[in-house]
Amino acid sequence: MNAINHKPIFAAVFSVFSLTVADNAVAQTSTTAIMNGEVHTAAGDVIKNGDVIIRDGVIVQVGGDLIAPTGATVIDASGKVVTPGIFAPLSSIGLLEISLDEEANDAGPNRGEGFPLGAALDAVDAYRRTSTLIAINRAGGVTRALAAPSPGDSLFGGRGAVIDMSGGVSSVTKPRAAQIAMMGSGGAERAGGTRMGAWAFMREYLDEARSYAANPNTYIRRNREERFALSDLKALGAVVSGGQPLIVHINGEADIRNLIRLKTDYSLRVIIAGGSEAWRVAEPLAAANIAVILDPMVNLPSQFEDLGATLENAARLNAAGVKIAFYNPPGFGAHNLRLLTQQAGNAVAEGLPYDAAIAALTINPAEMFGLDRQLGSIELGKVADIVIWEGDPLEVTTVPQAVFINGVRQDLDNRQAALLSRYRDLSRGALPLAYRGGE
Amino acid sequence: MRKLRWTALAVLLVGACSQEAADKAADDGATGDTVGAETAAPQNAAAQGAAKGADDSGKKGAKGAVHPPLDPYPSTYEPYASDVTLITGATILTGAGERIDNGSILLEGGKITAIGAASAVDVPAGANTIDAAGKWVTPGVIDIHSHLGDYPSPLTNSTSDGNEATAPNTAHVWAEHSVWPQDAGFTRALAGGITSLQVLPGSANLFGGRSVVLKNVPSRTVQGMKFPGAPYGLKMACGENPKRVYGDKGGPGTRMGNVAGYRAAWIEAAGYKKQWDDYWKSYEAWAEKDDAKDEDAKEAPDAPSRDLKLETLAGVLGGDIRVNMHCYRADEMVQVLDIAREFGYKVSAFHHAIEAYKVADYLAENGVCAAMWADWWGFKLEAYDAVSENAALVDAQANSCAIIHSDSATGIQRLNQEAAKAMAAGWRIGLEIAPEDAIAWITANPAKSMGVLDQTGTLEAGKMADVVIWNGNPFSVYAKAEQVFIDGALMYDRSDPKRSPRMDFEIGQQNNDNTGGAGQ
Repeated sequence: MNAINHKPIFAAVFSVFSLTVADNAVAQTSTTAIMNGEVHTAAGDVIKNGDVIIRDGVIVQVGGDLIAPTGATVIDASGKVVTPGIFAPLSSIGLLEISLDEEANDAGPNRGEGFPLGAALDAVDAYRRTSTLIAINRAGGVTRALAAPSPGDSLFGGRGAVIDMSGGVSSVTKPRAAQIAMMGSGGAERAGGTRMGAWAFMREYLDEARSYAANPNTYIRRNREERFALSDLKALGAVVSGGQPLIVHINGEADIRNLIRLKTDYSLRVIIAGGSEAWRVAEPLAAANIAVILDPMVNLPSQFEDLGATLENAARLNAAGVKIAFYNPPGFGAHNLRLLTQQAGNAVAEGLPYDAAIAALTINPAEMFGLDRQLGSIELGKVADIVIWEGDPLEVTTVPQAVFINGVRQDLDNRQAALLSRYRDLSRGALPLAYRGGE
Repeated sequence: MRKLRWTALAVLLVGACSQEAADKAADDGATGDTVGAETAAPQNAAAQGAAKGADDSGKKGAKGAVHPPLDPYPSTYEPYASDVTLITGATILTGAGERIDNGSILLEGGKITAIGAASAVDVPAGANTIDAAGKWVTPGVIDIHSHLGDYPSPLTNSTSDGNEATAPNTAHVWAEHSVWPQDAGFTRALAGGITSLQVLPGSANLFGGRSVVLKNVPSRTVQGMKFPGAPYGLKMACGENPKRVYGDKGGPGTRMGNVAGYRAAWIEAAGYKKQWDDYWKSYEAWAEKDDAKDEDAKEAPDAPSRDLKLETLAGVLGGDIRVNMHCYRADEMVQVLDIAREFGYKVSAFHHAIEAYKVADYLAENGVCAAMWADWWGFKLEAYDAVSENAALVDAQANSCAIIHSDSATGIQRLNQEAAKAMAAGWRIGLEIAPEDAIAWITANPAKSMGVLDQTGTLEAGKMADVVIWNGNPFSVYAKAEQVFIDGALMYDRSDPKRSPRMDFEIGQQNNDNTGGAGQ
C-alpha cells in the first residue's frame, strides 16, 4: 500500500484544552492566537502566514507578523487554512431531526392539509438547540445558519432565524431574519395549479399585508376577504416594509423576471433560492441587487423550469456580479450542511473563482441577513466565527481541525463520533457493545 | 439426441397462452415463422433450474414441448467504432489494487490489450496515442444503484416509472421495461465517468422486481443499452418502506410482516422451482427416447404453467439472479442473512447499508457486499446511525466488499468524490486506504456484485476497454473526467461537444443552444 500523506492531525490541539460549550457565553477575558495559517479573510485578502488574535469572542488583530499576546492560548496553524466559519444561508437545522418522522420534523412541509397559517410561523418557536444535526454539522465547520421552515400549503413558509451552531441556550443570533416563499412550480401547486395563480396570489397577499400594516384597526373593522389569516398579514408587514428579506424558491427564467418586477413594484428585499435558470437573468439580477442561494450541482432538466440548469450557474452569476451562496438540495436541507464546502469546490471546478466560493460560504450569507458588520469575515471587530482546516476547505478529503463560534473553541464531538467509537472494534468484549462508548 | 423443429411464433404465445395454443402454432408450418434451426433439447436442464434450464427457450419441439424464453429481451448493444488507442504517461489505478505511475494502457478492438509501465507497453503502428502525463486513468465507474431511466429527467407523473407500488411482491416487474433511454441523466452520468450501471426498481415493495445492468451508451432502445450477458438482479427491501407503503393497504405493516412476506414467497418459489426441475428431468428423458422404439415417445411431458413472479424468485434460488437488498439497519441485515440461508440463496449486496459498520464482520464472513453512501443520513429513522467511516470500516474486514453507490441522478455524476470522502474518513481513524484501494469501491466491487467483473470493473488485459481519463487525482473535488471510453470507443470528451450526447428532450428547446448534453 502506498504511503499516504495525511496522518490524523488532531492530536496536540485537542488535548491541550477542551472548552465545553458553555451556553454560548464567552468565557471571561480569554485570548486566543491562531498563528501562521493561510488566512482567507473573505474580506479581499489571503494572508499566507497569517495570524488572528481573538479576545473575548471578537477578532482584535489580523495580520502577517503578529506576536501572540501574553497569556493567550496559542494555536499553531502552520500548514493549515483558516477561514471564517461556514454560514448556511438556508436550512432547516434545529427544526428537523428525521425528515420522514413527523414528530421529529418541524421544518415542514408535512403540516397536515388545510393548516391555515404560513407566513406567521416562526422558526424560533420550534428551534431545538440539542438536535444532533447541530453538533454533526458544527464538526464540519458550519458556525451559523438560517433555520427556516419550508412552505406547507401556503405560499409562505414562515420566518427563519439566524442561529449560531454552538448549541447553546441563547444561540439565536437574529430571529425573524427572513420570510420564506414558494413560487414557480411550487407556487403554482399552492395556488390553483398555475403560475398565474401564484403571482396573483402573491400580489394579493402583499397588498393585503400593506393594507393591514397601514392601519390594522381599520383593516380588521372592514373585515375583508377573510382569505388571509391576520397573523400571516401581520408577519408579512416586515416584508412589505422592505426590511425583512423574502427568500423565494424559484427556478425558471420567466418566474425570475416576474420576481424582479415584484421586487420593484413592492420595494421588497428579495433573495432567490434555487435559481436553476438564474444565470439567464444574471445581469438584471445583479442590477436589482438580488442574491441567489443555489445548489451548484443542479444540472438536470428535472422540470421544464429547469431546462437551463447548468453546473456553471454559480460561475456565470458571480461573473455578472450577482451575490451567491450555497444550500443543500431540498430534502437534505439540514443533515449535511457540512457538504456546502464540497458544493463550493464543485462550483470552483466549473469556473467560480476560489475567493468567490469562500465569500459564498461566509460573507455573502451574512450580508443577506444584514449581519455582515458583525459576521462573515475575518476582520477587526467581527465576531470570531473561525475554522481551522487541515487543508483546502473545499476539498472533499478535508475536515476542520478546530472551530470557533463567538470566539469559543467548540467541542467537535457528536453522535456520529460516539457511534464510531462504540463500533470501531467489533470483537466480543467482557460486556456487550452497549456498554461501550457514549460516555 | 432427437432433432426438433422449432418455431419462433411460439415465443409470442407461450407467455399468455396454454400449451394447446402453443401446439397449434408449432404445427402451423405455413405461418412462415419457422426458424428452421435444428437444435438439441436443453442439456442437463433439470440441474440448471427453471429459469436457466430454459436454454432453448421459447421454442417448441415437434411433439409439444414449449419452453419459457430465457432471454426474451436480449441485448442489442454493440460497441461503437474505436481506434487503436494508447493512453500513456498517466497515473493508472487499475481497480485491482494496483497503482502504476507513468503507466500506459492500450485499447484495441474494444478490449484492453496491454497495461503496465509506459516503458513496458509497445506502441503499435498506427495507434492513436494520448499523452496523459499528469492525468489519472481509472476503470469506468460503475454505479450499482441507480434509477436513471426509471425516475428520469424530467420527472413528472408521466415519467415516474420506478416503483410498482401496487403490491408488496412485484417480483414479476422488470426495471428495463420502465427505462426511458432518453433520460438526460445518462448523459450527465457519462460526464462523471459512469460506463456501466445497474438500474433497480424502487424500494416500496418486499420484492420490487428485476434490475437491469446497462452500458452507459445512448440508444433508441433499452435493449441497445443492456450489458450483454449480465445477470439479472432482484430488488428487495427491508424495513420502513414496505411497511409504510402497505401498512394501511393490507400489509405488511411491521418488520415481522416483512419477514413473513419474504418467507412465504420463497416457500412458494421453491415449490415452483421443483415443478420445473422435475419437468426438465422428464423432458430430457423424453427427448432421449427414440420414436421408433418407444411407445410413449410421442407424448411429451406437460410443462408447468409459467408465473412471472415465481420465475424470477426461482431464478434467485437457482443462483442465476442476484439479490440486491435495500437494508439500512444492522440487525435486519443479519436477519436477512438467516432468511437467505433458510431458503438457500445468496444476497449479493445490501444497498443503503447505513449500519453496515455495526455488522461488518458478519457481512465479510458471508461474502456479502455493502453498497453505501459516503455521508447521507437522517432522512428516516433507519438512516439515523450513519457514520462517515462506514465504507472504510466495511472495507477494513478481510474478504470485504465495500461499494459506494449513488441512488441519485446527481450523486452518480461524482461517485469519485463520494469515494474520496469515505476514504478520507478512513484515514482519520488510522486506516490505510490508498486511492488504488478505494477506486475498487466504485469499479471492481460493484462489478463483482453485479456479476460482470470478468468483463469490466478493472483495467486488465482482455477486459472491455471501459476507461476514464481524469484531469487529475479523481479523489479530488476539482477532478473532471476528460475522456470516457466504453468498449474502446470514445463516448465522451470534455473538450469536444461532438463527443457529448444530448438526449431528445433537450435538443431544439428554444434558448437552449448551449445547454443539454453530458458536460452540462
